Amino acid sequence: MKITNKEKMTNFCFIIPALILFLVFSLYPIVRTFELSVFQWNGVDKNMVFVGFAQYKDILFNNPSFWKSMLNAGYITLLALTIQNGLALLLALLVNQNVKGENIYRTIFFLPPVLSGVVVGLIWKFVFDGNFGILDHFLYGLGFKEFHDYAWLSEIKTAISSVAVVHMWKGFGYGFIILLAGLQTIPVELYEAARVDGANSWQQFKNVTLPLLMPIFTIVSILTILGTMQIFDLIYSMTRGGPAGHTHVPITKIYEYMNNGEFGYSTAMAVVFGVVLLVISYAQIYFSKKFK
Amino acid sequence: MDFPKLKRSISATITHFILIIVSLSCVFPVFWMVSSSLKTQEEVFSKMSLLPSTWNWSNYVTAFVKADFGQYFLNSVFYTVVGVFFVIFISTLAAYAFARLEFFGKSFFFYLLIATLLIPIPGVFVPLFLLLKNLSLLDTRTGLLLCYISNGLAFAIFLLKGFFDELPKEVEEAALIDGCSRFGIYYRIALPLAKPAIATLVIMNALTIWNEFLLALVVLQDKAKMPIQRGLMVFQGTFVTDYPLLMAGLTIATIPIVIVYLYMQKHIIKGIAAGALKG
Amino acid sequence: MLRAVLCLFAVSALFFSSCSKEAVELDVDVMVWHWMTDRQDAFEKLAKDYFTKTGVKVIFETYAPSDVYKNKISAAATANLLPEIFNPMANKKEIASYINAGFVADITDDMNKDNWKDVFFQRALENLSFEENNEWGVKSGIYGVPIDVSSMLIYYNKDLFRQAGLDPEITPKTWGEFVAFAKKLKANDIQPFVSGFGENWIIGAFAQSYQWELFGKEGILSTIDGVIPYTDARWVKIFNLFKELKDNNLLATGVVTMINKDAERGFATGKFAMAFNGSWGVNVYNSMNPNLNYGVFYLPILPEAQHPMRFFGGEGSAFYVNSKSPNKQKAIDFLKWFTSEEQQSFLSKATSNIPANKNASSDLPPILKIFAESIANTFGQLQKIEDWQVVNVLNTSLQSVIIGEKTPQKAAKDVQDEKARQMKNKKATA
Repeated sequence: MKITNKEKMTNFCFIIPALILFLVFSLYPIVRTFELSVFQWNGVDKNMVFVGFAQYKDILFNNPSFWKSMLNAGYITLLALTIQNGLALLLALLVNQNVKGENIYRTIFFLPPVLSGVVVGLIWKFVFDGNFGILDHFLYGLGFKEFHDYAWLSEIKTAISSVAVVHMWKGFGYGFIILLAGLQTIPVELYEAARVDGANSWQQFKNVTLPLLMPIFTIVSILTILGTMQIFDLIYSMTRGGPAGHTHVPITKIYEYMNNGEFGYSTAMAVVFGVVLLVISYAQIYFSKKFK
Repeated sequence: MDFPKLKRSISATITHFILIIVSLSCVFPVFWMVSSSLKTQEEVFSKMSLLPSTWNWSNYVTAFVKADFGQYFLNSVFYTVVGVFFVIFISTLAAYAFARLEFFGKSFFFYLLIATLLIPIPGVFVPLFLLLKNLSLLDTRTGLLLCYISNGLAFAIFLLKGFFDELPKEVEEAALIDGCSRFGIYYRIALPLAKPAIATLVIMNALTIWNEFLLALVVLQDKAKMPIQRGLMVFQGTFVTDYPLLMAGLTIATIPIVIVYLYMQKHIIKGIAAGALKG
Repeated sequence: MLRAVLCLFAVSALFFSSCSKEAVELDVDVMVWHWMTDRQDAFEKLAKDYFTKTGVKVIFETYAPSDVYKNKISAAATANLLPEIFNPMANKKEIASYINAGFVADITDDMNKDNWKDVFFQRALENLSFEENNEWGVKSGIYGVPIDVSSMLIYYNKDLFRQAGLDPEITPKTWGEFVAFAKKLKANDIQPFVSGFGENWIIGAFAQSYQWELFGKEGILSTIDGVIPYTDARWVKIFNLFKELKDNNLLATGVVTMINKDAERGFATGKFAMAFNGSWGVNVYNSMNPNLNYGVFYLPILPEAQHPMRFFGGEGSAFYVNSKSPNKQKAIDFLKWFTSEEQQSFLSKATSNIPANKNASSDLPPILKIFAESIANTFGQLQKIEDWQVVNVLNTSLQSVIIGEKTPQKAAKDVQDEKARQMKNKKATA
């Protein structure tokens, strides 16, 4: 069927509302951000000092702590991509197969995303606390005497992983409901047809569920990457980037600069960070297309 | 011995074991939040007991009054309902077009939209604020809503396009031959089929808008327009935090969103029946 | 289809109707934005009194926590929408920007009238003033009004002292005694010392006291100028103090990521015997555990130090007046009334703080009295400040020493490296 130009024009109408909002409220501020990033400015001063790409140069070659924070976020993202998404997929599959009480589980698994960050931060700090922490009590009870007063969030070895655990716990619910929605849109007929062909449940999973769910899983992965790389609230409420800066992530760094009157510099950091995210997401899309 | 039956019951046990362990970790904070909301300030710290020694239900009344929830509640409902509606409406239209229709600059616009997901918020905060000022939208509900709606779009379009891509094309083609307009196909066929995805998005956007407060606090000046999260600030003192009242306030603020979830998640599941009937 | 259109229509109607009934003009003379949620009730009561007395309507609005407040202020400044009274919550350099951009009123003349300025603790007022020839080019004068004053000392739990066999009425005077006391507590299975060292500024405040004692004002200024390097033996000594606490296990477990609220909770519930904290702690501990039996002592001195010990403190909270508001004078007059003896007394009692008005501080409870006496010995803000990135590296290096990641020598070297880097940057831009 040949599509005429007139049709193309009417088709374009579908995206006009989104496009207008996007251009005004997203693209314009981003362009302005880019503009601010070539100035040295503290957000209040009347005069902004034009410095060209000097701030970019400093970020790229002279700011190891920013790149360290990027690695931290990358580490949490790797964990989230594997463990969090694996858990989300597993739970979505389990709940999807008509287990008893699936309604209850479905509701419960979305509680962490719904909960306020204040509560989550407080609770998990109780868990990881080195003085009366729940986890230490538990491990001590199991006979691991060395964990008697281990402060999980204050030791370099465990701080970032501990934060990652909380992040994954808070986030798996999103992946869970998106994947569940994905599983629900797979037509039942396909399973029936597979069963008629004599496929067992593993074969049904491999030949029907997996290929049809793959695109949704890719979307969930990209959202996980973007969501985790931009992690902020949890870090701030649990460690403030400590111990000694070992759990800083890009957004906490950007805020740190912003709060210290380095407005222009922090926007340049935001731009650099955005470019890194762009590259990562593009790579993710590219590879998932290749696997398909 | 009935092996298949035994096997099934073992796998059911393992399934439930995993589900219950994860569930417990999710329920505990809620339990703790509600339990703390009924304690006294002293008790929250001194005794790490699971249940309050006396159940101070009056904390809820105090929290409600002190946080002016009555005033903020309707605002939040308004922002959430209108915001979510427009996010869904605009994003389904656009996502459908990106998935199914041909037009100029399709992939260019798609990737441009997606790029907004990548720029972290702190950078665009001040430009956005200045923009609202220039449009005379500072301290208006419209301004705040427009920000909320455009914030939700990229994510929604991205997710929905994925779902529309996967939907079977045959029905639509049949409808097209029957003389149905493109909008008719979108509205009558594509939307019902994508119901689970839409329900998911409603939940997520409702959650985001309901919990948002930084933008609201900065954009709005007039207290009468502020959302519910504004009320919760009252308990988070610079020095003294009133934990029982804070927890009571948080509980009150969490309930509506749980209700939205309970209601919408049924539609995530209903999709199976709808899809089966039409597909 | 029809249903959807109707629905859309209804929602849009709601949408636009709600937008049209904008801005019910409020009849406010002086708007105050503040972050002290726990003082809102007391503020409101005073505002009401003021209205009955003068007919000037003052409204207090809270935005908390303070990070959010700071965001709100800087956004409002960008759009020229600041209220009559506010506080940028920033360091001297940033305050200077606010002043230079014309957001903050110079209130020197009003302060000189009727000896208003004489009612305040001098240190508090000094911190809110700019001296002649300061490095930011601000006209010399007074720019802020202190509401209360505070300082940071060491609290101790008398019951835990007794438990460890220590006399709760005898407190350590020197660093050596302090460590000995702490060891005794530790030997009795009591965690000796806690503070919100997870917050950079608190660990910095502790170190700064010793910086003042070892370097004195001139020494600190030379350090900022880059004449004295951070690798100076005295700096290594300061890092070593933290190492000593760490090596003897005298710090609370997890202290490096502890925010002050957690540290306060731990002290209030008797988990830790001593806490480095500000005078606001009196109110906090009281709300968490009214039965806590505690005292306060000054930071232990280093006998070898050449200069007097100085504490972190000065103005606890302060307000600035918006110079662009037509009601500027009304705002200043209100603050004048607000900081007079009677109102300050009331505020002090209602919120357990030390009033900025020293005449109102005569009948303070004993613990607060000790804090009030220490105000004269707090170190003031200098007219020159160290680059924030150097301060940042310094504070995180202190944490690094506590977790054993860096030796004191290495920590000192890292700070000096950052200092050198910043000096080079400054030279490049200048």
